[in-house]
Amino acid sequence: MAGRRKSIAFYIAFGIGLISVIIILYVGWVLLSWSHGVLLTILGILLLVIIISGVVLNTISLVREIHRNEQKDAFINAVTHELKTPVASIRLYLETLQTRAVDEEKRKEFYRIMLEDNDRLLATIEQILRTGRMGAAGRKLNLVRIDLASLVEECMARTRALHSIPPESLSFRTGPPVSIMGDLEEVRAAVSNLIENAVKYSGKDVSVQVETEQLDGHVLVRVKDAGVGIPKNELKRVFKRFHRVPGPLASRVKGTGLGLYIVRSVAKRHGGRAWAESEGAGRGSTFFLQLPVAK
Amino acid sequence: MTQILVVEDEQHIADGLRFNLEAEGYQVQVVETGEAALELLQPPAAKFDLVVLDVMLPGKDGFEVMSELRQAHQYVLTLMLTARGHPEDILNGFAAGADDYLTKPFELSILIAHIRGLLRRREWLRASPDNPPAKPEPTDSFTFGDKSVHFDLLELRVRDKIFPLTLMEANLLRYLLQHEGRPISRKAMLEEVWGLHEDTDTRAIDNFVVRLRRYIEDEPARPRHLLTVRGVGYRFVAVPAAEQ
Repeated sequence: MAGRRKSIAFYIAFGIGLISVIIILYVGWVLLSWSHGVLLTILGILLLVIIISGVVLNTISLVREIHRNEQKDAFINAVTHELKTPVASIRLYLETLQTRAVDEEKRKEFYRIMLEDNDRLLATIEQILRTGRMGAAGRKLNLVRIDLASLVEECMARTRALHSIPPESLSFRTGPPVSIMGDLEEVRAAVSNLIENAVKYSGKDVSVQVETEQLDGHVLVRVKDAGVGIPKNELKRVFKRFHRVPGPLASRVKGTGLGLYIVRSVAKRHGGRAWAESEGAGRGSTFFLQLPVAK
Repeated sequence: MTQILVVEDEQHIADGLRFNLEAEGYQVQVVETGEAALELLQPPAAKFDLVVLDVMLPGKDGFEVMSELRQAHQYVLTLMLTARGHPEDILNGFAAGADDYLTKPFELSILIAHIRGLLRRREWLRASPDNPPAKPEPTDSFTFGDKSVHFDLLELRVRDKIFPLTLMEANLLRYLLQHEGRPISRKAMLEEVWGLHEDTDTRAIDNFVVRLRRYIEDEPARPRHLLTVRGVGYRFVAVPAAEQ
């Protein structure tokens, strides 16, 4: 990390240095050859502007490239952790069952833990594969009529079961029934990611409200939590691929940085959009997924 | 009873480790963050005999926790356990001051063997019957110039100063001393001292050498004992040429 920051600083300093040298040389040249006429000076200025913008563009793209590499490294670390941890856990419990005398009650608990780890592993793999598919050009949406309320209910039931959450901590309010035209797999992944996130980033006291609402031609899924919240300057970035909010608050929750990217991609592919609102760190956040209503 | 502190935020792995270590007869405490571990391990608290430390922790990561412990002169036996298995990660762990390093997924029996090995080594150091614990006489030591290395105490004495060594620093120093006068390649050190057989950028060894030089050289920038052999690695000389 420190090395990257150093090389970014170096490239910026190098760019500025290069531009200063060009300007000094040019001013010197103008002073020496002023007598040759205005046309040549103007031509010179034009050339100078082109060269300088070239240098600036080059510096910007270098810095961007470094930044992108940094994100990729962070992603690979996160994915390594997300894949290896459940495998390590399953292996640990299998070896324990194989080598030790374990009473019936413990044995059942170990099976439950292994199943949870297996689900976690599968969820990570699905997330990665889905991201890969989103990136692939030309994959068509398999559009069907979807009853939004029952889809949300289904996703909520899964999250409740997975994290053993009582119904009152994860509530749902809906208006009159609404249908959308969408790819069932994708819309389910998007809604499920939003609900999962709200629970994951809530800490110990989960209080999540999900609402669906119809607004002229669109339907809005609103997922509101009272969790860690998002700083203002991160509200847009959280939807970027691989991006994870820096700082201790959010890094207590493990993840690959793909979930919200998937939400945004699904929204875009369906002609809708996704965004987030938050009063700031520690004050909860609300995520919105807007999709066009079926005609 | 031997006390083990497990620093692991993944609850499933922490529970599994606790179950198995308790089955082995150890007393186990689990904490989820590096900060909590640092608090529990504040010297001179010597409650724990061994620490199992995860790297990817929320907040301070395992490498930071490790170096802070060693800087605070807390030399409790520490085994780092992590999903990050690149040779650089492993060497970083040792450079931070770890005594041992295992990658996830690990084999349960191997983990327990490592823990037993570490504890046994410490028992051997403590329990030589003819060495009263108050002021033990070094039995396994090497002297050169005004410096002496005491492998059994994990100490390096330079005149009246005492530098504590980590297990890995001591092992590297021992290996260099055993091959006194001969050039040793970085690869050989990596294989013989760390037991790593991968093709890797072996520069990370240089960090260890820098630290050893700080201990044993009067002027670390102009080494006289621990010399660089260009393109190969290092050579240890007990008596520098000028003094012969």
